Formats: sequence, structure tokens, C-alpha cells
Amino acid sequence: MNKTSITLFTLAALVIVSAIASITFGPAEITSSELMACLVGNCQSQISNVVIWQIRIPRVLVALVAGMGLAIAGAILQNTTRNPLADPYLFGIVSGAGLGATIANITLANHLTVALPLAAFLGALFSVIIVVFVAKVIQRMEQLLLAGVAVSFMLASITQFILYFGEPFATNRVMFWLMGSLARVEMSNFYVIGAVLVIAMLIVAALHRQIDALLLGDESAASLGVNVDKLRLLMLGLCAALTATIVAYCGGIGFVGLMIPHIVRQIIGVTTLKLILGSALIGAIFLIWVDVIARSSLPHAEIPIGIITSALGSLFFLFIMYRSRPIN
Amino acid sequence: MSTLINITSLSWKIQQKNILHNISFNVRKGEVIGIIGPNGAGKTSLLRCLTNQANILANSNISGSVQLKNRDLKQYSAKEIAQHFALVMQKNDSIFALSVQDVMNMGLLPHKSFFALDNDHDKAQIALALDKVGLRHELHSHFNQLSGGEQQRVLIARALVQASQILILDEPTNHLDVYYQHQVLQLVSKLHITVIMTVHDFNLASLYCQRLLLLNKGELISDGTPEEVLAPKQLSKIFGLPCQQNIDAITGATQVSFYLEENRLEENRLEENGLVENKIIDDKLAAPIDTQCASGSLSE
Repeated sequence: MNKTSITLFTLAALVIVSAIASITFGPAEITSSELMACLVGNCQSQISNVVIWQIRIPRVLVALVAGMGLAIAGAILQNTTRNPLADPYLFGIVSGAGLGATIANITLANHLTVALPLAAFLGALFSVIIVVFVAKVIQRMEQLLLAGVAVSFMLASITQFILYFGEPFATNRVMFWLMGSLARVEMSNFYVIGAVLVIAMLIVAALHRQIDALLLGDESAASLGVNVDKLRLLMLGLCAALTATIVAYCGGIGFVGLMIPHIVRQIIGVTTLKLILGSALIGAIFLIWVDVIARSSLPHAEIPIGIITSALGSLFFLFIMYRSRPIN
Repeated sequence: MSTLINITSLSWKIQQKNILHNISFNVRKGEVIGIIGPNGAGKTSLLRCLTNQANILANSNISGSVQLKNRDLKQYSAKEIAQHFALVMQKNDSIFALSVQDVMNMGLLPHKSFFALDNDHDKAQIALALDKVGLRHELHSHFNQLSGGEQQRVLIARALVQASQILILDEPTNHLDVYYQHQVLQLVSKLHITVIMTVHDFNLASLYCQRLLLLNKGELISDGTPEEVLAPKQLSKIFGLPCQQNIDAITGATQVSFYLEENRLEENRLEENGLVENKIIDDKLAAPIDTQCASGSLSE
């Protein structure tokens, strides 16, 4: 077994250990022996049984697939655009989702359980369609990121305009939603995100050689038989669907897609197959533990998970810049 | 030698400007062809048409035909074209830390189906190709950390893994030191496959190509042996500088030198002004060439 396989197997084991261990963390105290008993269907306390099976496990599983999905989306985007700073969030996906969520909150306040994720998803897809359209018109793939930032600001300003003149409660709800949280997720969310994730990973695994070919430039890839424009559009659509699904249920969780692939490149490799497998595993471990911090660090409140990922992400970013500074 | 590629009346217009105009020539199997000409002559555009990159030939501004093995290139799929043509570009940096192995793996792409992983046969092919360019020991090195010459050799090895019959190189000697220029071109000319490359330096082109194509303003001006194509009158007209053809005393290759009138030696000024067409064999005037490179075979 080579070094990469050993690293991947170790990470996979860590994902499983993290997922199980993290169930014990939270406001209601659950000991590890109690957890083990409940997991094998031998639960002594009814309350613990409910907490474990209906609250903690869905939450940990959603953290697992959301972490995987956000990290993979970042990895795919970075490899297909050859830009290590590409992140699904920079493509206006969150602003689009925010606009969708705002409209849902203002107009469909009584049906938010169904309307909010749906509207957020549609908003996210809408923003990606605009970004791709702009990039097609200007015919410069390198400027996709700049187009994303511009579209992001445009959609955010529309959202703010609506919120400013809308009712204060809706504003509060949207603000909290945008900060990201796994507090209200259900098992069904896990199935939906998981299904999109599996499809995305299969497509990427099928096309991993094509995506790798892009790493030495478009012309080199085209000479190897790759239809560069089609491939990039497909990958962008895939990232959008993946991120939009996650954002729709979990709100804004930034920096995961930027940070995790960067770590994977250092320890596993830069080619697509290694990058998405490594990103999936490290992304899952990361988000499981960040959610533990979110739900158990304050005594009577939760910290929105997006606040923690953004804080960690920005520190990580500054650290990377510090480490790659020129040394005289 | 059998004919591999037939190009007939190929023209390419972008906004009323002729990128290529009425170009016709054939490529026979095993030929090493150099495309020369001034900047903007259409050299790289001609290469792009050959590899039908991003379906360039389907472009409505292109007329004429490119046939590969008597079949129109447009009828080939992108994958089939990649199985016939391997391209080595001028600049191939990656911002990510690709290893030489990662770059070599790319060459397998035209022969792999979806989901396919690398097998032992692939690994053997890669090792063999790197052996041919003398870089097997660099398999795990970072591609970006290799010298320009080594990067070019890795890309040539990738082309060998691609197992294409025709190797296309766009300015393979750009950014290379004189030693690596000779090393790369000698390697390419001894692969015993069909090679079509653009070369900026006429004397290098002459030394390593059996046949040269001279392009100017999108037109094919001359097609023949280096001696025929590097005719001083023709070159002077295109480049606007007096030019002289020599036979290099060491390599025996046809060489040309351009000069400004004011730089001519005093005794030569006595000659009639204008273009000098007579061939001379003269050590002093022949373009100097690194004796080490010319006398022995090149190696690291």
C-alpha cells in the first residue's frame, strides 16, 4: 500500500471516529458508555435515546456530508479554473441563496420549512446562471471569479434593499439563516445532500483525467482531446448544485471550500482524484468538530457555525500568507 | 514515404484579416518539418488548424481542408485527434505543484475510458518514455522545479506516452539556453516519428529539420529543403535586412546570417550594395555554433 492510500485510510478512520465521538458533545450530557448502549439498541434512558437518534445523529451526519460537499465543491472549482482561491461562495452562491431566502421570508412566512430551502436553492442557481452568462459574454474564464464577486455584491444589495423596507422579524430570520446553522437539520436533509454528493463524486471520478488535463492549461487539455468549455461548465454546474443544496439547508458556511483543498494539496496531492477524496474526508472531519464547538462552547446558546468557519478560515488564510512570505 | 496529412487551400480570416491564406502542402510519414517566419506570420495558427483544437476547423471563417490519412480532420472526434497528434506547447506552468508523474499521466488520457485508473502497463510506458528523454530519475520531482529544457523533455515524453504518430511543437526552444535548444531539437529529430514544429531560429531549424515551410503574412512563401527555403533574397525581402547564406564548416548545415549594412566588414563593403546571394564557405562569416554541441551527442 502506498503513502497516499495509507493517508486516505487513516483519514477515513478518523471520519468514523469523529462522527461517533462527536455525538457525545452537546447541551444534554451523554456518556460514551450510554452512547454505545444506545447505538446497539440497548438504551437505558428514553431521553438519551431521543437526543441521540433524533437530534445528534442527523446533525452529525449532515455536518459530515455538508463538510464533504463544500470541500469538494471548492476542490473541483479550484482545479477546473486553475485558481487556488476559487470558492463556491465567491461565485455569488450565498448571496443568491440569501436573496431567495429573503423573498421567501417576506412573502411565504407561514410555509418557511418548505419554502426557505427551495427559495435559497433557486436563488443560488440563479446567481450561478448570471455568473456563467457574464463569463460567457466576456469570454474570459480567468475573470469568472471577478464576475462572481460583482454578481455577489449586486444580489446582496437587492437583498439589503428588500430587508431595509421589509418587516424587522424577517430581517432577523434572514440574518440568522445567513450565519449558518445545523441546529434545525433533519435526517431527510442528510439524504438529499448525500444523494447530490454521491452523484457529484461519481461524475468527478469519471472525468478525473479530463479535469487533471486542465492543470497544465486549456490548450494542453484540448490537445489531449478535452472539450474544455463543456467540461468547465459541467463542473461549475455541479459545484453550484452541491453548494446550493447545502446552503439551502444549513445557511451560509464559508471558507470550507477554500481552506480544506489547500491542506489536502500539502499532504496528499494536487491531482483531482486525490484532491476530492482527501477534501471529502478532511472536510467531513472539520465540519463535524466545528459543529461540536458551535453547539457546546457556550452554556445556554449556540454559536452560528458560519461565524466559526469564517473566523477559522480567515486566520488560516493569514497564516498561509505568513508562511509563504519571502524570507531574506 | 506515405502521405499522412494533406492540406489543401487552407484559409483563415478573422475580421477581414488573413490569418492564413490559401495554404497547401503534404506531410509524409517520418518527416521532421520546421515552420519558420516572422512574428505574426501564422505559424502557431497553422499548428492549431492541424490539431483542430476546440473544433477550430468548424469555424465558418476557415475554408479549405485538412485531411489526415485521406479523411477530413473534421470527421475525427477530439479523442481520435489526440490519438494522432501530440502537442507540446511553449509555456506549460502550473500554479499547482504537479509532479512529473502527474504530467506524464495526462498523456494516457486519449487512451483511457471513464473511471479508468492507471495500471502496471501504464507505469511501464511512462518509465520507458522518461528513459528516452533521460529523465526517469525525475519521476517524483515537481514539474515546476525542473529547468525549462527538462520541462520540454517531460512534455515530449508525455507525447510519447500519448503514442501519437505526429508530434507538434510550438517554439520548443523558446526560453531555453543554447545547450538545451540543441538537446531538445536533437531529441525530437531522433524520435523517428513525424514532427511538425515552429522554430524561431532559422539556423536551428535548418540543422534539425529535413524540410522547412516559410510563412509570411499568412501565406506559404516557400516549401523545401533548408537550402532552398533559406534563400537570402527571399529572407531579405521578408525581414528587410540583408542576409547571407553559408554552409556551416562544422555541421555542414545551411545557415543564414542577417546584418545591418553599417556592421559589414570594410573589405565586404567594396562589394556591390544590396543582397548577397552567392554561397560561401567561410569560417569567419559562418554563424558560430557551440562546438561542444555540434561535435558530440548531447546529454545531461
